[in-house]
Amino acid sequence: MLSAMPHQRRLALVLAMLVLGSTACQRAGSCTGAYCGTLVFGVVGEPDILLPPSTQEGVSRDIEEQLFLKLADIGLSTNTIGDEDFQPLLAERWEWDGPLTLVFHLDPRARWQDGQPVTASDVAFTFDAYTDSLVASPYRAALRRVASVTARDPQTAVFRFREKYPEMFYDAVYHMRVLPAHLLRGTPRDQWKTAPFGRQPLGDGPYRFVSWKAGQSLELVADSTFFLGRPAIRRLIWRFTPDIMVATTQLVADQADGHDQLVTPDNIARAAAAPQLTIYPYRGATYGYMGFNLAANGDTTQPHPIFGDRDVRRALTMAVDRASLLKSVFGDYAKVPPGPVSQLWWIWDPEMRQLPYDTTRAKWTLSSHGWRDSDKDGIRDRDGQPLAFHLLVSSVSTIRKTYARLIQEQLRQVGVQMEIDEVDNSVVAERLAAGKFDAVMLAWQTDPTPSSGVPQVWTRGGFGRSNYLRYDNPAFDALVEKATSAATRAQARVAWRGAIETVNADAPAIFLFATDNVAAFHKRVADVRIRPDSWAALVRTWRIPPDRLIDRDRVER
Amino acid sequence: MTLPAWFALLVAFALATWVVRDVRRRTARHEAGRRFFRHPTAAWGIGVLAFFVVVAVAAPLVTSYDPRAQLDIVHLKNQAPSWSNILGTDVYSRDLWSRVAFGARVSLIVGALGMLVAVTVGTLVGAVAGYYRHWVDAVLMRGVDVGLALPRIFVLLIAIALFGQLPLTALVLAIGLTSWFGTSRLVRAEVLSVRERDFVAAARAVGAGPGRVIFRHVLPNAAAPIIVSAALGIGNVLLLEAALSFLGIGVASPTPSWGNMIADGAPYLASAPWTTLFPGLAIALVVMALNAVGDALRDALDPRQEEREERGRTT
Amino acid sequence: MTAWLVRRVAASIAIVFLVVTLTFILMDVAPGKPMLGPTERLVDPQAEAILNRQFGLEGPIDVRYVSYLRELVHGNLGLSFGLRRPVADALADAIPNTLLLAGAALLIDFLIGLALGVYQALRVHRIPDVVLGNVTLFLYSVPTFWLGLILLLVFGEWLGWFPVAGMSDPILCPTVSSFYCAMDRLWHLALPALTLGFVGAAGTARFQRAAMLEVAGQDYIRTARAKGASERRVVLRHQLRNALLSFITLFGLAFPFLLTGAVLIETIFAWPGMGRLATDAILRRDFPVVNAAVLLASTMVVVGNLVADVLLAIADPRLRVRSGGGEPA
Repeated sequence: MLSAMPHQRRLALVLAMLVLGSTACQRAGSCTGAYCGTLVFGVVGEPDILLPPSTQEGVSRDIEEQLFLKLADIGLSTNTIGDEDFQPLLAERWEWDGPLTLVFHLDPRARWQDGQPVTASDVAFTFDAYTDSLVASPYRAALRRVASVTARDPQTAVFRFREKYPEMFYDAVYHMRVLPAHLLRGTPRDQWKTAPFGRQPLGDGPYRFVSWKAGQSLELVADSTFFLGRPAIRRLIWRFTPDIMVATTQLVADQADGHDQLVTPDNIARAAAAPQLTIYPYRGATYGYMGFNLAANGDTTQPHPIFGDRDVRRALTMAVDRASLLKSVFGDYAKVPPGPVSQLWWIWDPEMRQLPYDTTRAKWTLSSHGWRDSDKDGIRDRDGQPLAFHLLVSSVSTIRKTYARLIQEQLRQVGVQMEIDEVDNSVVAERLAAGKFDAVMLAWQTDPTPSSGVPQVWTRGGFGRSNYLRYDNPAFDALVEKATSAATRAQARVAWRGAIETVNADAPAIFLFATDNVAAFHKRVADVRIRPDSWAALVRTWRIPPDRLIDRDRVER
Repeated sequence: MTLPAWFALLVAFALATWVVRDVRRRTARHEAGRRFFRHPTAAWGIGVLAFFVVVAVAAPLVTSYDPRAQLDIVHLKNQAPSWSNILGTDVYSRDLWSRVAFGARVSLIVGALGMLVAVTVGTLVGAVAGYYRHWVDAVLMRGVDVGLALPRIFVLLIAIALFGQLPLTALVLAIGLTSWFGTSRLVRAEVLSVRERDFVAAARAVGAGPGRVIFRHVLPNAAAPIIVSAALGIGNVLLLEAALSFLGIGVASPTPSWGNMIADGAPYLASAPWTTLFPGLAIALVVMALNAVGDALRDALDPRQEEREERGRTT
Repeated sequence: MTAWLVRRVAASIAIVFLVVTLTFILMDVAPGKPMLGPTERLVDPQAEAILNRQFGLEGPIDVRYVSYLRELVHGNLGLSFGLRRPVADALADAIPNTLLLAGAALLIDFLIGLALGVYQALRVHRIPDVVLGNVTLFLYSVPTFWLGLILLLVFGEWLGWFPVAGMSDPILCPTVSSFYCAMDRLWHLALPALTLGFVGAAGTARFQRAAMLEVAGQDYIRTARAKGASERRVVLRHQLRNALLSFITLFGLAFPFLLTGAVLIETIFAWPGMGRLATDAILRRDFPVVNAAVLLASTMVVVGNLVADVLLAIADPRLRVRSGGGEPA
């Protein structure tokens, strides 16, 4: 008789074998001592290309931190002004030769991983590539004030600037990772965007590239001859997942050792409850807001019928309970920003003047401007037009979608109807660029300094770039100009404060959140230091004490 | 949940039971009706469907909260089921039972209308192809092949990308217009066999036009498989809506649909599984009921038809 | 037979061509611009314009379409700007993964489905049939991705029996034995394959049961019984063999189900296959990848149908007469 039983029994057998096989067959290796250790980072997303000037994705940057060195890097303080807080890397020292000339002396021990020395001509080549329009690097604009980079001799690279300003040194070192000229010279510049080198990189950093399995994982191994000291952790593995919940589940299930941004209180609580994990909060680089298009939807020459009115924008801002929203979405791990400011920036100051949460005043302002609910449908109207608009939100961001829906309900309470357009990123980007939207939910991941982001997003100079809201206030622009060119931090601080408070008063946006990032790493890892602008920058100094090694650390390869 | 809501829910149960009894009584006179209820899960299926329809219609009565209302976004989000929120709350602190009940409206309407579009288009194309045969048939059926050759979820993703954000009607149309291929093949095959029978030939002989012949003579005789495939198809549309919403391109918030409820809940699967579990169960129950009723209908109306057309589900 | 086959193949090629053209046009008309990088970073319109030009995303659609077809004929699928690599390379990575998942799911689908269907048909209207009937009805009715989520929650998160995502263990697999790696791959495969397989098996079982019962009612089976053939022989030689005929059709039809069903399942279980590749590409407007994925998917569907038709034609010569349509029976 044909029966289903044999199949079921066989299936059960196979399953049992699988479960047993997966545990019984793990053979522990024999690595012992200070230089063992395997760390698995679960990350959301996957690198695009590991060729620094062409890279766009955050994951790629984290991996490039291990592969390619900068001349010098920002310190734990993330101070971008002057050069005193910067740490030497490829350059062992530097000096100023006049106000516009900066001379770097390379560390003679520095080697590419194929044995070639790192030379000043590599540095000159790197600058040439980063600023070549054919490479179309996203960092090109940041280097516009560097006039030239030349090699004085194999150990000495000379930077010449077009003008003197407080963040010259930051611009010289922060954006560029030095590239191996001898390996890249043969690749035509217009093919760098998809160069095979970017999937099989060779650098001068503490780790060497081993393998990259598309959609799965990427492995690096420590370079035991690294000139700044052998990294203590031998293997680094990046494990790719499509979303943060799965990444957290992997972490909690001990199938990964760490994750850099848990984002929601839900994930943080789960990681905190896992016995093998330690939580590391650090200052976040992101701020988010709901922005109002000051120009008419689809027509940048006309003011927006609702948001063109400063008082209406102020009223809407006052109608939103930002503290409760924050608590609901982020729990204790984020702050209401005092304007368009991320916690990473030194200008962060909770004392900056902002609009209060005051629904009474919000309602009163709306009524006094003629927005009343004359037809008793719950929605305010004026001259037969309801107080209704569409909010553009990216469908891939859970945080922004959640905020949108919470705000939708809060605005409904004061008689404002907000429809949510949840669309793909590609549609968001297109409609933003074309000005085809009423309001938008946005978040920026910022550089360590406000002086690049703020002008691009909020001044008139940002029209056609990232100032999608077309916010335009000459007084604000003047203050930003003053702040970015101020010689001292004290002067800059005053100017920045004035500028931010001007934006707050004009209310082109409701500033909703500035993230605290929360990372979780396995508790066996010691000396975990996280630099807020780039969590992976200091991984080469982390270690696993020999007495805390676990099976996966001892694996031989 | 307030007492009146509990009471209304009880009434809904009672109503569903009564509907089953009533349908059984009314159909008992016909052979087909008796065959229908001989199917073991038919009565159960009718009952479940009746219950959800009643709940959908009387949604404000059987629930105690506005499905859009965020009760307390700080303290009441992702609450486990309790006496005040019998199915718990979601991440926006909305009452899950209210959303399931109101979501029934949207989901059932999308399912029914989507299927209506699909069956109408599929029947017309199939009838025309089968009636005219030759090159009309060849062209139409190659078109159907193209439709079947494209993975439907890709087609819908691309089609929906065309709109950016979909209004409900567009969603129904998009689903309907990509779901008719199977029906059209079915109808074509049926028409091909019916058109050769005597009464059709007779109708043509007395000079009836093609429209009249198709609608008055051919289609009524091919009705059974169409009805059955429609009943089974609603379930597929429901599943499709859920899949689309899960990808973030279905029914737009804050309007609840079972699909977008699963999508809302999925990021919190580990900490608040009920937000994913209950809407999924609702879908499963209704689709099960539809399949049960479809099976029974087939037994009743068209005992010879095979289950082949059931395959080709997309989700 | 040959003429029929030639006609069928020609029609198949025409269908694939139409589908590809349609996709090309649809993707072009769709709103949204190609996403070259993450949205949370400042944009440089100049750099973006240069990249757009380099990736061939500018210019009138007819010019791009012609050059696309020209490249396609030469076997060049283009460059993906989202993945920063040739589309062919990306496909070469993803296809084996999808085939593995689809193959495993198909195996589960047909083994369990066939067995259950036959078993139910033999016990028709008795308790095992009724119980299994309800189980298959339930599995047939749940949203596949929802079932995947629930299995993930129960067996991955709560019980910890299976990994929650990915398709291999990156720590041990490359360093220890290949036997370990094979077991590890199966272990990672279990949840997504079972999700797809169970749902498929439910449909297959229902189909197989109905097919067996229909055949059981036909004359030649009665004749066989009357001639005193043993029950086992009747079932094996006649009922099963005939039911298998229609089953071949199912096999052809199962390909699209697995390819498209896998879209959501691949996303949920982080399985780096075609479904995820295509969905991501559609969302990013990564046209070359979308075109290639649709080309591939439609080819597979068409080939699946073709093979099923050919098998049927070989198995049952009567069907060849009615060969005009793509649909046997």
